[in-house]
Amino acid sequence: MPHRLEIALKSDLPDAEGEGLRQKAKDYFGLHLETVRTVSIVTLDADLSEDQLGRIREEIFTNPVIQVSSYDPLPIDFDWTIWVGFRPGVRDNPGATAVEAVEDLLGIHFGKDDAVYTSQRYCILGDGLSIEAMDRLAGELLANDIIQQWKIFERADWDPAVGIGWIIPRVILNHTPTVSAITVASDEALRKVSDERNLALNPADIPTIRSYFLDARVQSERSREHLNEPTDIELEYISQARSDHCNHNTFQGLFRYRDVGTGREEVVDSLFKTYIETPTRRLQAEKPWVVSVLWDNAGVGRFDDNHAYVITGETHNSPSNMEAYGGAITGIVGIYRDPMGTGKGSKLIMGSFGYCVGYRDYTGDLKPHLHPRRLLDGVIEGVRDGGNKSGIPTTFGQVVFHPGYMGKCLVFVTALGIMPALIEGEPADQKTILPGDLAIMCGGRVGKDGIHGVTAASETFTENTPAGHVQIGDPYTQKKMHDFLLETRDEGLIRFITDNGGGGLSSSIGESARFSNGCHVQLEKVPLKYDGLDQWEIWISESQERMTVVIDPKNLDRFMALSRKHGVESTVIGTYTDSGKIHITYDGRTCAYVELDLLTSGFPQWKFDAEWYSPDIRGLFEPVTSEPDRYGQLLRDLLSRPNVCSREWIFRQYDHEVQGGSVIKPLVGAERDIPSDAAVLRPVLDSSRGLAFAQALLPAYSRIDAYHMTTCTIDEAVRRLIAVGAGLDHIAGVDNFCWPNIQYDPVTNPDGTFKAAQLVRSCRALKDLCLAYGIPLLSGKDSMYVDGNLRGTYGETHKVSALETLQFSTTGVVDDISRCVTLDAKAAGDLVYVLGVTRDELGASEFYEHFGYLGKNVPHVDPDSCRELYQRLTRAIQEERVASAHGIYRGGLGVHLAMVAMGGNLGLDIRLGELPADQPLRNDILLFSESAGRFIVTVDPTRKAEFESIFKGLACACVGRTTEKPELTIAGTDGSKLLSVPVDDLKEAWKSPFQDL
Amino acid sequence: MPHIKNSSHPASSIQDPVSSQHPASAVKALVLTGYGLNCDHETAYAFELAGARAERVHINSLIDGSRRLADFQIMAFVGGFSWGDDHGAGVIQAVRMRTTIGETIIEFVEDGNLVIGICNGFQALVNLGLLPGLDGDYRSRTVALSTNDRGRFRNDWVHLKANPESPCVFTRGLQQLDLPIRHGEGKLYAESGVVDRLIAGGQVVLQYTLPDGTLAGGAFPFNPNGSVHDIAGICDPTGRIFGLMPHPEAYNHWTNHPGWPREKETRKRRGLPTPSGPTVGIRVFQNAVDFVRNR
Repeated sequence: MPHRLEIALKSDLPDAEGEGLRQKAKDYFGLHLETVRTVSIVTLDADLSEDQLGRIREEIFTNPVIQVSSYDPLPIDFDWTIWVGFRPGVRDNPGATAVEAVEDLLGIHFGKDDAVYTSQRYCILGDGLSIEAMDRLAGELLANDIIQQWKIFERADWDPAVGIGWIIPRVILNHTPTVSAITVASDEALRKVSDERNLALNPADIPTIRSYFLDARVQSERSREHLNEPTDIELEYISQARSDHCNHNTFQGLFRYRDVGTGREEVVDSLFKTYIETPTRRLQAEKPWVVSVLWDNAGVGRFDDNHAYVITGETHNSPSNMEAYGGAITGIVGIYRDPMGTGKGSKLIMGSFGYCVGYRDYTGDLKPHLHPRRLLDGVIEGVRDGGNKSGIPTTFGQVVFHPGYMGKCLVFVTALGIMPALIEGEPADQKTILPGDLAIMCGGRVGKDGIHGVTAASETFTENTPAGHVQIGDPYTQKKMHDFLLETRDEGLIRFITDNGGGGLSSSIGESARFSNGCHVQLEKVPLKYDGLDQWEIWISESQERMTVVIDPKNLDRFMALSRKHGVESTVIGTYTDSGKIHITYDGRTCAYVELDLLTSGFPQWKFDAEWYSPDIRGLFEPVTSEPDRYGQLLRDLLSRPNVCSREWIFRQYDHEVQGGSVIKPLVGAERDIPSDAAVLRPVLDSSRGLAFAQALLPAYSRIDAYHMTTCTIDEAVRRLIAVGAGLDHIAGVDNFCWPNIQYDPVTNPDGTFKAAQLVRSCRALKDLCLAYGIPLLSGKDSMYVDGNLRGTYGETHKVSALETLQFSTTGVVDDISRCVTLDAKAAGDLVYVLGVTRDELGASEFYEHFGYLGKNVPHVDPDSCRELYQRLTRAIQEERVASAHGIYRGGLGVHLAMVAMGGNLGLDIRLGELPADQPLRNDILLFSESAGRFIVTVDPTRKAEFESIFKGLACACVGRTTEKPELTIAGTDGSKLLSVPVDDLKEAWKSPFQDL
Repeated sequence: MPHIKNSSHPASSIQDPVSSQHPASAVKALVLTGYGLNCDHETAYAFELAGARAERVHINSLIDGSRRLADFQIMAFVGGFSWGDDHGAGVIQAVRMRTTIGETIIEFVEDGNLVIGICNGFQALVNLGLLPGLDGDYRSRTVALSTNDRGRFRNDWVHLKANPESPCVFTRGLQQLDLPIRHGEGKLYAESGVVDRLIAGGQVVLQYTLPDGTLAGGAFPFNPNGSVHDIAGICDPTGRIFGLMPHPEAYNHWTNHPGWPREKETRKRRGLPTPSGPTVGIRVFQNAVDFVRNR
């Protein structure tokens, strides 16, 4: 019999959660609620005695100092009460920890069907509130119908004895696991099954799949295992492995690129091989610090003689678009498993975020599943809980607003780890598997969650996308597993490790089996959350917080002992072989028997037509304007723009100092509120070495040319590291592409060939800049279907595609953290220098966007001159000639002078006439052009000569001084004053848009 | 609420090196790990810097007896999200430890040893009843650390004032200090009678202040959570059990302080060397080690 415990704060204590809800109802919907009180509900679905229930209530769930509780509904007054709980099968993290607590307290063990479920009830007082308003509150603020259910009670309907009633979201499948055979009689028949089962097989793959299963040799081997036609589990395995998400078919594709203007044609056979693998291999040969690239879950670079760092990044767009909190927390917790599964495992040391969403105040006619405001709120909270509860600092991040991300948002997550160079004398980055080694699944259990997540990420989002792939990450379970695995690693117990992410066991076992050339999996051994899963579901489920670990059988007892010590579930589920086969049995019967080679040979390459229409051919042009004369207001307005203004409210929610090695924090300056160029960590606490990290996102430039979007993005990510004191001799990169669909279709994707050309150009730029700057790509991922079909006012839908987007991440190693610098002006009377050349490059700038223009002159990177300048700046910083350094990024010189002044709470007195420029330019161009390769540097006047001698012959000019009076003053090229604005006013403008968040 | 500006850290806020000799000795600190705790490495490092021998010990290793509390003189409940903090921060950790080794911990305290609880560890200590320990009662909950007034997690640096009248051994000789806070549930609350007794007994060890050193008076963000009486840390009547929301272990190097690049530049221009030696964060741990060594 279930028991329902209601818990609330004592009535005289303020309820911060309720108050937050009251405020949001007002801000988001204009709904005036008088008070909101929250009630936590714990439903115990287990046989428990009166005495046990009393102890549970008093000793676990009620803090006597601040809370009241009762197994009967609490008598809290309301006009309306809204109950919100999870749908069956949705991960209930507090419910799971409640089970642990009850078992601990009472010394009992919950049976298979016993569980604890958590939910909330909101007691709302307010005049004239309608059921419609409550429904909106529930559906658009409190709950997401994909994962949650709700009930609304009016005061008059409420029976104080019954309360919310009895809602037990237990999963009951009443299903006997069944393996089904699938016909391969014809291409058409298999295609039909693929559609019906949501397999998302590429039609071009179907003949290859059929010919494999129809092959006489294959059939004879299969018949010995009592198999004939392919089973559902086999086809699910093939589909998963062949998905664009796992196999990167787009980047491996054949591109026929044609420049429509010149008529020149070029064939690119695999973007990955041509533009990523080849240059990275070349650079790896030149740079001994590149330890491991292009094969493992993440790339590895040398940190010092005894340690290596590990980095990778990915996106979690589709799930976040459906359920922002769940998608984002699953994303960040998921990316953390990649460094854990790199080499023999690494310790996580840092994470970062990148969010691309629609405008927060969107009021247009399109109806995305989640309003951008709500989506951003949820994503921020998901990464917050995922990162903070993992004990990993989130030290860097960016947010870009653009309407194109309303079709599908982007959620970039990046993870860094550190590993010893050697474990028991063997390189920690290497791993292999021997036949006879055991396959062990560690961490969470398997349920229906996440099934077909990988294939859904390879499709354009529609109203009919199955919601089953939405999950909620569980950082607590994973943190336990992380600590456990590091201990086993350090004892030398781990032979091989990889994570269960997209594709679940199908992917982790399927890929690791190549190391020994085969694996036999006993699927019935996989621990399940609930009975009734089909075999194929167990095999491809993406239930989170799982790693696949491979050990020598002789280490099994010790491994399991450590697993118990850490409270982690580990189960032997199979044995690696050298049979050349993935062999899956269930209770002794074979349900899959597939040659490993099938997936690496024989499948047709994807083909794309790419047609490049240059900005000239597209008729882009520079706008015709005269110079403004209200520069002060203009600068303030630019500082208030959504893509420029302060995001302090996000950074402050993220623990960026846990692990104790913070050196340069995400917010810096005298008042600790200006975003730093880069983050610097001291990952090895007793070493003075630092790891610098930065990222850039400049999708706006893709509106003109994705080539220059890419070069500028990479340049910015590099420049950010240079600004804090890292050097070009050790900078590694991670590329994360997010692109709209590039497969041409005359009806559904008429500009597909252009987007394909943008992708080719972007990849080409990636190669060009990486070679020019000497940046090996330690890791990278692509997400190719950033489109959505949104409903409009009249029942019609609109396809909304994202800007072609590349997030570029950089890491550098700093020899001595005490030489690092921050961007804030340090002292009055310092000299202000600008390094790098300003050009007439306002195309797609923040300045043009402010006026609704696009323009044509997108910034170009001149890597040769940049490289020289960056090396000199590194030297100047190493020699401690520099008081502050800051790159000039989005918004141009004007915006970034403001950052330097606001950071130091000091004034700047600037003369534009001294600014290095390639030709005489108008003041507004000098102030707001976004030319790449530039810095603002402040220098102690006593160091003037040494500083200037370092930059002799390069674009470097003293443009003014810092001043005690906190005022930004800028004189134009003719010496006349353009603006003079108090730093407080700049800060007010820059902070005001999101200051109430 | 009026927008209160967050003003700069005074240049003096980074502590000068303290030169003291800490030869290797037998002071041993137990640092808890496991179940979502996450500050164990840097807390152990802080104890090592302070001259102790620190060992990270899994909660279950204490419970199953494979490690014995009696082999240590200092026990640290560290920061993190034990059991995900799903049912009140530190609550389930306290349940598990009380039902298994609760009495062992009380014996450890009554034997004159030291206990520090930082952030999640402080939350566990008040849920265990080890704090505030009024009248030597180490089993009752009389103080709560509840949701921040702003309703969510916050990471920032705060200014703190140490109470010179407090018996707390961890803060001896300290007056003002800057430390990071990183929590969502750090609002100290107790009935007014309890708060009065804490004040009267010198059990209020640390309070949030404005940059000028005067009490924050509840003003956000200086008092980041709305704690009554600006309380950031308390001790038991003996001064040997100390709980605090800020993280002294995260100020283990002078470059942890957010003001260090400005401080460094100021010093450089005055011809002064960059700071070295123990930070004020490490001095909290040194006080503990010194106490054990000298008792």
